[in-house]
Amino acid sequence: MAPAIMAHPDLRTPFEKTGLGPERGATVLARDKAVGVKRILQEPGLWVLPEDLTRINGFTLKPEGACLGELCIPLQQGSDLLKTVDDQQWINVSAFADLMEQAWVVDDDARVWSFGEMPATRQSMFANAQAPEFEIQDRQGNVVRMSDFKGKKALIITWSSW
Amino acid sequence: MSVWQSIYEELNDPDFVIISAAQDTGGEAVAGPIFDAAKASYVQIVDVNHAISSAFNFVNVPSAAWVDEAGNIVRIDEGTYAKTHPFGGTDAYAPALKDWVRNGAASVYVQAADEVTDNIRRRTPEQEKAEAAFRLGNFFREKGYAEKAEHYWLMARTLHPDSINFFRQDLTLSEEGSAGESFMKFRTEFAEAGKDYYRPLDLD
Repeated sequence: MAPAIMAHPDLRTPFEKTGLGPERGATVLARDKAVGVKRILQEPGLWVLPEDLTRINGFTLKPEGACLGELCIPLQQGSDLLKTVDDQQWINVSAFADLMEQAWVVDDDARVWSFGEMPATRQSMFANAQAPEFEIQDRQGNVVRMSDFKGKKALIITWSSW
Repeated sequence: MSVWQSIYEELNDPDFVIISAAQDTGGEAVAGPIFDAAKASYVQIVDVNHAISSAFNFVNVPSAAWVDEAGNIVRIDEGTYAKTHPFGGTDAYAPALKDWVRNGAASVYVQAADEVTDNIRRRTPEQEKAEAAFRLGNFFREKGYAEKAEHYWLMARTLHPDSINFFRQDLTLSEEGSAGESFMKFRTEFAEAGKDYYRPLDLD
């Protein structure tokens, strides 16, 4: 049996408390990003402006629906997904996630929403063994995407200090 | 120098990259010195949210995927030790990797797409929710809200009890650490339940 690894004592102490995000809006965790959303509708679900939909999950609201690349999901105006209030269009991101079978968890007190992986964007991995796209910063602060390495062989390896 | 760095230098192939992602909520403070000690010259990521594990459906470390030039996964989700290790892995892994880098699709270690897709772990809806819960817990931890962090990390562990990553990462905050009595008990029960701590290596 391998010898036990000691925990990191300095990590047992919580970090100093800091603000959780916009005072009246919400914080949305998705795709390894924390997106501050300043305007939300004070109604059940996470109703955001179309531009914030894109910041959260990459989808763009178009006449044909919410679109990401070639994927377009029709949305009915006046539904629990899409509505107009005072001439401003709003989209319910949590209802959209439900439609897309994307898992989410919310902390209502802090107004922080966390979204899991979106199955529709990962179908090619399960069907054809296509590597999933990801976007994350390296230690130097560069954005690293799986697609950056087309044309090269890549060993993706995970490990931990623990 | 780490084994992976020496393999990387030995191969010295501009068309081969190693993307190494530390699954560590402790961040640069704990993972950075290990990268530095390894004198790593490949892509180094301190993945505090375990995003790479989430993307590839990994549940343990070390795990790996081999991705070819066209973006096809040709091997996935194996206990990726460069040498034989008591928890899994064999001395045959590193030579197999080198063979693939040198021979590409002609390597005997390349798996067909249907074999790869069979080897990708599927997550239940509860396990998908666990990914979101873990991320939420980590957000609160970084903001200094320890109780909320523990609440959502516990939610993640409950929703995905087979995630060794979630379990051991949580244990790093305990007095006993990630490889103490709780971990040994977990590992024993895992084995007794017939579960693989790593998916078995198939290098024949």
